[in-house]
Amino acid sequence: MTQHRRSHAQRIGLFAAPLAVGALVLSGCSSTSGTSTDGSQSFSLSYAVSTGVESPFETLAKAYMAATPGVTITLNAVPNDSFSQTTSTQFQAGNGSDVIESQPGSGAGQRIITLAKAGFLEPLDDGATALIPSGNESLFQIDGKTYGQALSISFVGNILNQTAATAAGITSFPTDFTGVLADCKTVAASGGKSMFVLAGAAGPNTGATASSIAATRVYAEDPTWNQERTDKKTTFAGTQGWKDTLQAIIDMKDAGCFQSGAEGAGFDAITNGITTGTTLTMFGPSGAAADLAKAGAGNTYTVEAFPPATSSDKAFGLASANYSLSLNAASKNKDAAKKFLDWMAEPAQSKTFADAQGSLPVTGLADLDLSGTNYAPVSEIVKSGSYVAFPNTGWPNSAVYDALGTGVQGLLTGQTTVDSVLASMDAAWDQ
Amino acid sequence: MHSGTEANTVAGQQHRTPGPDRKTRSRRARGVVGFGHWWWALPGVLVVLAIHYVATGVGGFFAFTNWTGIGSFQLVGLANFQKILGDPSKILALGNTLFLAFGSVVIVNIVGLAIALALNRTLKSRYILRVLFFMPVVLSPLAVSYIWKFIFDFNGPINAILKSVGLESWQKSWLGDPTFAIWAVLIVIVWQQTGFAMVIYLAGLAGVPTEVEEAAAIDGTTLWQRFWHVTLPAIRPAVAISTTLGIVNGLRVFDQIMALTNGGPAGATETLATQVYKQAFSLANFGYGAALALILSAIILVFAVIQQRVTRGTES
Repeated sequence: MTQHRRSHAQRIGLFAAPLAVGALVLSGCSSTSGTSTDGSQSFSLSYAVSTGVESPFETLAKAYMAATPGVTITLNAVPNDSFSQTTSTQFQAGNGSDVIESQPGSGAGQRIITLAKAGFLEPLDDGATALIPSGNESLFQIDGKTYGQALSISFVGNILNQTAATAAGITSFPTDFTGVLADCKTVAASGGKSMFVLAGAAGPNTGATASSIAATRVYAEDPTWNQERTDKKTTFAGTQGWKDTLQAIIDMKDAGCFQSGAEGAGFDAITNGITTGTTLTMFGPSGAAADLAKAGAGNTYTVEAFPPATSSDKAFGLASANYSLSLNAASKNKDAAKKFLDWMAEPAQSKTFADAQGSLPVTGLADLDLSGTNYAPVSEIVKSGSYVAFPNTGWPNSAVYDALGTGVQGLLTGQTTVDSVLASMDAAWDQ
Repeated sequence: MHSGTEANTVAGQQHRTPGPDRKTRSRRARGVVGFGHWWWALPGVLVVLAIHYVATGVGGFFAFTNWTGIGSFQLVGLANFQKILGDPSKILALGNTLFLAFGSVVIVNIVGLAIALALNRTLKSRYILRVLFFMPVVLSPLAVSYIWKFIFDFNGPINAILKSVGLESWQKSWLGDPTFAIWAVLIVIVWQQTGFAMVIYLAGLAGVPTEVEEAAAIDGTTLWQRFWHVTLPAIRPAVAISTTLGIVNGLRVFDQIMALTNGGPAGATETLATQVYKQAFSLANFGYGAALALILSAIILVFAVIQQRVTRGTES
């Protein structure tokens, strides 16, 4: 009996031990923000990384720790392609970092409006509100409360390899669509080169291409088009500007503007093509110019806006705060995190972040001297405020942009038509 | 008749004799379990229940909601399923799923069996060749797919060869071609899976008695007759295993498509598995993605059951 009792106790112990160990392991996995006590000077920061190069978030976090002794920031670097999913899952599970890299607007899992509507973000103070770029309020605020602190301004349009362009006989970027098609033929005739490079198999790139063209065809005439679509006063299919945008892509394909095999190309085609000079121009965010300059030694890259249909049309572009920081509503270290956000809002940190990103500082754009920089070609557009935020930041879900990106690939292969692409975007919007 | 009766009697005795022993064993087993041995299994059982069944059940529940993957949700009944059935792109994905599953099963098994027959006995270099044919199976599907992506690339070796032989007009973006892209995916799957089928058939062929084949040969049968009437019936269990695994793996093919085409061009190579991932995790339609996953699971279950029935019939 004694033996039996002992073995019975052992059995219970052996049964309980794995559960206890499991519980400890799971609790260890799930606590990033909850380990610190109230009043702690330490907090955690999550941000997306896509290359081996040190992230600007990491650079500035280290600088903050050096400047404020006693503060420890736990850095959670998450791969870029899973950042949205990871962020939303962590918030849903109640173990998100105290401060996270967020993106203005709605749609994907790390978008400010999406997270704020779900109740996961803490409203920020007037300092953050003051940093919202003019016209971008709806991407940062709900009912007048600000949920994200803008970090820098990114211009989305074209990146031109000026060195390769000059070698191919293109001395200046075209100012209208006729000029675009003419230059495409000139470059194609020079043998084995193309004026533009397109990653047809990569939805984000085809989407950026269409969006950059839509800046002049849609948003130059009607900067509030997104709001009108939200109010159901217009549709993609019913807007001539969107039809012209997609037709322009077809015309460019027919004129040989894109590299051979563009419809099946990935991002590697962009990097390889533009750094080697076999293709001259890419569509994408201005920060890519800085990255390309590092990769392609000896080449000069400039930021350009895609030309309007005619030279009498208004030059217009896309510029918005692509990166921001937000505060976890469930954070136990809000005071420490807010001090960090205040420090990040200072002009010196804003400049450091913008320089590291290859983007523009979030404040003082109108007074900024861009001459001599790779932003010189779009200087007037930036200074005059002739831009809107990147369109999809104001779209209600990710499916609309996905429909655009997929649809453009279909236009290149002949699988879809302009009307069918726009209809699918409307369907995605209304879902 | 007499011997048959004897046999029945013996069988009956054999059947009756172990009765008390079995009862004793059974009582002993119950006693052992009664003394708490099932507690030992409980943590494992709970983990299996939690991971396999509760998680799957919760996932299935979300198929009837409009959850985006974040925040709250509402029950929407069968709305997600109605939406799937009314969406031509999802029907195309279903068609692609079945095409890749059955196309790969047919080609992989025919080619795998042919290689197994060729490398079964006589060839001197058969051991080296078996290793070579099996090698792709142990490689990561993603790594294999990226190698093939380079091969199919517009600036890749296929187009380079075409150009070198003066067939420049045949050059194309193979993975960007709406017609060829799905075949490219199939080629990659077949290339990687054939070695696995070969191994299963080699195991099956090892159990075929050479005497039977020799006897058939002496009787004057042709090579094809020997294969069809002697070898193939003998390796039917291997056929059943290989085709079952092939169909299940083919129905849930994911890595190769994501690496090669990402479902493109313009959805031409989307399957239910890639759509589940995109809807649930990329487009924040978790409920809709869960409904797609439920449909995919049901399809796999149906074909698995059919395959089980076929196997049972073969054994009888």
